[in-house]
Amino acid sequence: MTATTATTITPTAARVVDAVKVYGSGDTVVRALDGVSVDFPVGRFTAIMGPSGSGKSTLMHCAAGLDTLTSGTAHIGDTELSSLDDRRLTLLRRDRVGFVFQAFNLVPTLTVAENITLPLDLAGGKGGKGDSGDEEWLDALIDVVGLRDRLHHRPSELSGGQQQRVAVARAFAGRPDIVFADEPTGNLDSRSGEEVLGLLGRTVRRTARTVVMVTHDPVAAAHADEVVFLADGRLVDRMESPTADKVLDRMKAFEVPS
Amino acid sequence: MNASVRLSVSSLRAHKRRFAGTFLAVFLGVAFLAGTLVMGDTLRASFDTMFGNATSGTDAVVRSADAITTPGESEGVREPVDTDLVTTIEKVPGVAAAAPNIQGAGQLVGRNGDPIGGQGPPTLAGNWIADPKLNAYQLAEGHAPRKSGEVVIDRGTAERGDLRIGDTTTLRTPDPVKVTVVGLATFGGEDGMAQVTFTGMTQADAEKYLTARPGEAASIQVRAGPGVGQQELVDALTPVLPKGVEAITGQASAEENTDMISSQFLTVFTTFLLVFSGVALLVATFSIHNTFAIVVAQRTRENALLRALGASRRQVTASTLVEATAVAVTASAVGLVGGIGIAAGLQALFPAIGFPFPEGDLVISALSMALPLAVGIVVCLGSALLPAVRAGRTAPLAALRETAVDTSGASPARAVTGLGLLALAVGVTLSGVLLSPSLWLAGTGAVLALVAFVVLGPVASTTAVRVLGGPLDRLRGVTGALARRNALRSPKRTAATASALMIGVAVVSLFTVFGASLKATMDQTVSRSFAGDVAVSTPSFGAGGSGLSPRLADAVQRLPEVDTAVGLGRGVAEVDGKGRALTVTDPVALERTFDLGTVHGSLRDLGTDGIAITEKEADKQNLTTGDKARLTFTDGRTQTFTVRAVYGQSELAGDYVITRDAWAPHRTQDADTLLAVSFEDGVSADKGKAAVEKAAAQYGNPEVQTRDEYAQSAAGGIDMMLTLVYALLALAVLIALLGIANTLTLAIHERTRELGLLRAVGQTRAQLRAMVRWESVLVAAFGTVGGLALGAFLGWVLVEASDGASDSAFAFAMPPLQLAVVALVGLTAGALAGLRPARRAARLDVLRAIATE
Repeated sequence: MTATTATTITPTAARVVDAVKVYGSGDTVVRALDGVSVDFPVGRFTAIMGPSGSGKSTLMHCAAGLDTLTSGTAHIGDTELSSLDDRRLTLLRRDRVGFVFQAFNLVPTLTVAENITLPLDLAGGKGGKGDSGDEEWLDALIDVVGLRDRLHHRPSELSGGQQQRVAVARAFAGRPDIVFADEPTGNLDSRSGEEVLGLLGRTVRRTARTVVMVTHDPVAAAHADEVVFLADGRLVDRMESPTADKVLDRMKAFEVPS
Repeated sequence: MNASVRLSVSSLRAHKRRFAGTFLAVFLGVAFLAGTLVMGDTLRASFDTMFGNATSGTDAVVRSADAITTPGESEGVREPVDTDLVTTIEKVPGVAAAAPNIQGAGQLVGRNGDPIGGQGPPTLAGNWIADPKLNAYQLAEGHAPRKSGEVVIDRGTAERGDLRIGDTTTLRTPDPVKVTVVGLATFGGEDGMAQVTFTGMTQADAEKYLTARPGEAASIQVRAGPGVGQQELVDALTPVLPKGVEAITGQASAEENTDMISSQFLTVFTTFLLVFSGVALLVATFSIHNTFAIVVAQRTRENALLRALGASRRQVTASTLVEATAVAVTASAVGLVGGIGIAAGLQALFPAIGFPFPEGDLVISALSMALPLAVGIVVCLGSALLPAVRAGRTAPLAALRETAVDTSGASPARAVTGLGLLALAVGVTLSGVLLSPSLWLAGTGAVLALVAFVVLGPVASTTAVRVLGGPLDRLRGVTGALARRNALRSPKRTAATASALMIGVAVVSLFTVFGASLKATMDQTVSRSFAGDVAVSTPSFGAGGSGLSPRLADAVQRLPEVDTAVGLGRGVAEVDGKGRALTVTDPVALERTFDLGTVHGSLRDLGTDGIAITEKEADKQNLTTGDKARLTFTDGRTQTFTVRAVYGQSELAGDYVITRDAWAPHRTQDADTLLAVSFEDGVSADKGKAAVEKAAAQYGNPEVQTRDEYAQSAAGGIDMMLTLVYALLALAVLIALLGIANTLTLAIHERTRELGLLRAVGQTRAQLRAMVRWESVLVAAFGTVGGLALGAFLGWVLVEASDGASDSAFAFAMPPLQLAVVALVGLTAGALAGLRPARRAARLDVLRAIATE
C-alpha cells in the first residue's frame, strides 16, 4: 500500500459509487448527497461545480476520507474508505492524498519549507520514503511554485497568494495519488487566483498527478480538464474541455428552475 | 451597568468550561484556608472543654511562683512545693480537701516491649489522687493503686500499649519500675488527654521514683467547701503560704494548660497550615490571572464589536469584572462549605489515627468564614483586574483584525526591571546572609527574588523553552518541533502558566534543601563532636519520653569492654536573667568521649563551685577562666560559680557544663538524656555494642546506636516533617497543574483550525495527543527548572541566614537525588496536566475544525 505504486495500475485515482450523505433526522433531514457515482481518472484535473448547497463540498470531503458516507462507497485507488478506522484513514490522507483548502492552509509556527514537508515529516521524517528521490522531487516542486527565496519565512510573512502556492506545494510533496482542492482561490484576488490555478494545472500536466477541485467560480473551473456539475446532491452533468463562458451558461441553467 | 451584568452572565453560561479551572483553584485555596481556621477553633474549644471538665473539681492550685524557661520551651521548670503544706492548707477555713500532685516523667512499655508514646506529647507519671474531685483523671475500671507497684493508667494509653487490668509491665521513670495495671482512667470524659500518657501510682511510689527527695510535690490541688468561690479560696490561702509559693484559681490553671497546648501544638499546627494555604492561593492567583487574560484575548473581537456598537470602556471592563466576581463568590462560597467539610473530615479522622478528638460541634466563628471568603474574592478579583482593564482598552477597530492571540515577546522594559529586581534581591539577600546575618533581610531578599523570577518569566521563557525543547526535535520529530513551537507562541502566557508551578516547585525545593541541610548539620555535629563508639538514648522528642536512668552510666562503665561511659543530664538555671540549659555530667569523662575543641583552663576539677562554658557564651557574657558567674536555680537560690574552663565546640555537650555534685542540691527527677560510650582498645564495635545493649536491657531497654545510627536517627524527625510538607504542597502543585491544563484547553480552542488542518494532512490522533502533552511537559519543565533554581537559592539563603542568626552552626547540603525526584515529579505532573486537553484535542472533528470561521 505504498503511495507510488497505485497510480499506474488503477484507471481511476478516486471514485464514489452511489454515494449518499444524510445530515440530521426527522423533519430536519438533509440529503447532501443523493446517490452520486463519479470517477476521477488518473492524471486529470477535474473541477466539481454546483450552486451553494449542491453537495459539492460534501462530495469532496467524503471522497477524500475527511467524512464518511451514509451509504455507498468511496475509494482512493483500490482502497475502500468505509472499511478504514480513523488511524488508517489518517495515514491514507497523509501518504496518498494532498489537500489545498480555501484558507488557513499552513501551520503558523512552521516555516514555508517545514509546511511543505509536513506530511512527510509526520510520516516519520527523512529517510522514511527513499530520500534522494524525494529530495529531487521537492526541489523541483519548490521551483515550480517559485518560493525558493521564501523557504525560511513564516506563513504570516507571506501574501495570501503565496500562502496558497505553499499549500499547493505541500499537497504534492508526498507524491499523492490525488490532490483535493476546496475553493483554493476563494480568498484570493483574481491575479493571485490565476497564478494558483495555473500552478495546479501545470503540476497535473507535468507530473501526471490527479487533482479534484471544488469551486463555484466558472473562471477557476475553466482551468480543469473536465467539469462535473452537481445540483441538489445529484450528479447532473459533465463537461470536457470547459471554458469559463460554457461553464457559466451551464450554471445559469441550474439557477433558473430552482 | 445592567447591560454589563447581562453580558457577563451570558458569557459565563457560554463558557462554563473555561472557568472550571479558575473555579477549582479558588475553591481549593478557600477550602483549605477555611478548613484550617475551623479546625483550629474547634480543637482549641475542645481542649478548653476537656480541661474544664477534668479540673472542674479543683478550685485552687498551690505551687512555686517562679518558673525558669529555657529558649525553645513553652513550659517552664518549677521548684516543687512541700507536701507538708497540705496539712496547713486543710486547716484554712473554706477548704474542703487538699491533695499533693506529684508529677514526673514516666514512660510505659507496651505489651510488645516498645515504649508507648514519647513522640512529642508528654509521658507523665504521678500520684493517684484519692479525692475523685481533685483528680483530673476519673477511674473508669478497676481500682485505685493501693500498694507499691500498682498503677492506674489512662484508657487511651492502655489501648495503644495493648495493656489490660492485671497486666504487669515496666514504667521508665527513667529507672525501670515493675508495675501492675489495676485500673483504667479517663480524662475529662475522654480516653486520654490528647496523646499524653498518664500513669497514676501510690503517693509513696510517686515520691520514690519521681522526685529527688520525698515530701515534694509539683503542686497542691485544693477543693473549696460549699459556697466558697475560687477567688475567695485563693485569697484565703495566700496568707498561709510560705514565700515563693502562690495559689491560683482552678480556672486559671486550666486556662494555663489550654494555652500551653495551644502554643505547643495548635498554634504551630495552624500557622503551618495557614502558610500552605497561602502558597496554594498564591499559585491560584497565577492560574486565575492567566485564565482571564486568555479569555479576554480570545474575546477581543467580541469586545471590540461591543465598543464599536457604543459600549463604554467602563462597561466592557465592568462586564469582565462582574464575571470574575460571579466566579469568585460562587467558588469561595462553595470553598467555605468544602472547608467545613475538611474540618469535619479531620474530626472524624483524628480518632481513627489514635488522636482523641473530643466530640462536639465544629466551632465556626465569623472570622473563619469571613476571612477565607474575603481572601478568595480579593484573590480572584485582583487576578482578573488587569485583564479586565485590558478588555476595556480594546480598540473598536480590533473587531476587524484577524488574530487575537497576544504573541508579543517580553518588552525590554520588563527585562530591565526584572534584572534590576533580581540584582537588588541578590544584593539584599547576600547582605542578609554574609554581611550582617539577619533572617529579616534574607527574607525580604527571598520575596524580592520570587518577584524578580515572576517578572523575568516572559523574558526567560523563550530561551528556556528553546533550550529545554532542543532535544525534542530530534527525539520526537515534527511532533516535538510543533510542541516546542506551540510553547513558544506566547511567551507571556507560557511564563504565567509556568510561574504557578515554579512557585510550588520552589517551595518544595526550598524545604528539600533545608531538610537535607538540617540532616547534614546533625551528621556533622555527631561526627565532629562525638568521639565515642556508641550512643545510648531513648528515641523521643518534644516533651515525651523519660530519658535514661542515671544509674545506667555506672552500670555500663563497669563493663570490661568499656573505656568510658558518660551520661549527660539536663538542668536549668538562670544566667544573667535568662533561662539556660545546663549539661550535668562528669566533665573529665565528657572530654574523653566528646571533642570539645580547644579548651582553655581545665575541666578536671570543676567541683561543686566550678563551671565550664563555651567560647561563644563566654564572649557574650564577657567571661574568661577565673571569672565568676552567678546562676539562679528553680529553688530561687543563687550560687556563684567560677569559670574553670572555656571550650570551643558546644554542639552535643551544650553551652554550660556543671558536675553532678554541683547540680545535686537543685535536682528534680533524675534522668540522663544521652549516654556516650567509648570502648577499650581492641574491642570490636559489634561486641562492644552487644555488651552495652545487654547492660541497658535492665534499664528500660533504651536504644543503643553506633555513631552513624545515632546521627541518622536524629534526622528521622526531619523526614517526617518533610513528608508532611510535601503532602501539603501537593495541593499547590495540583492547582498549578489545573492552571496548565486550563491554559492548554484554552489554547487548543484557539488553535482549532490549525489542529483540523494537521489532522487533515495526516497527523494521527496519537501524534496530536503527543504534541499537546509535550507542550504541557515543556511548560512544566520551564516552571520546574525555574522553581528548582529559585528553591535551591532560597534554601541556601535560609540555611546561611539561620547559621548566622542562631546559636548553632548550620551546614548547607544540596541533595541531588531528592532534587532530581522533584524535577521528575514536575515533569510527570506536566505530562499529566496535558492528558485531558490532549484527549479533548484529539476528539476534535476534523471537518468542523476546518469549517470553523
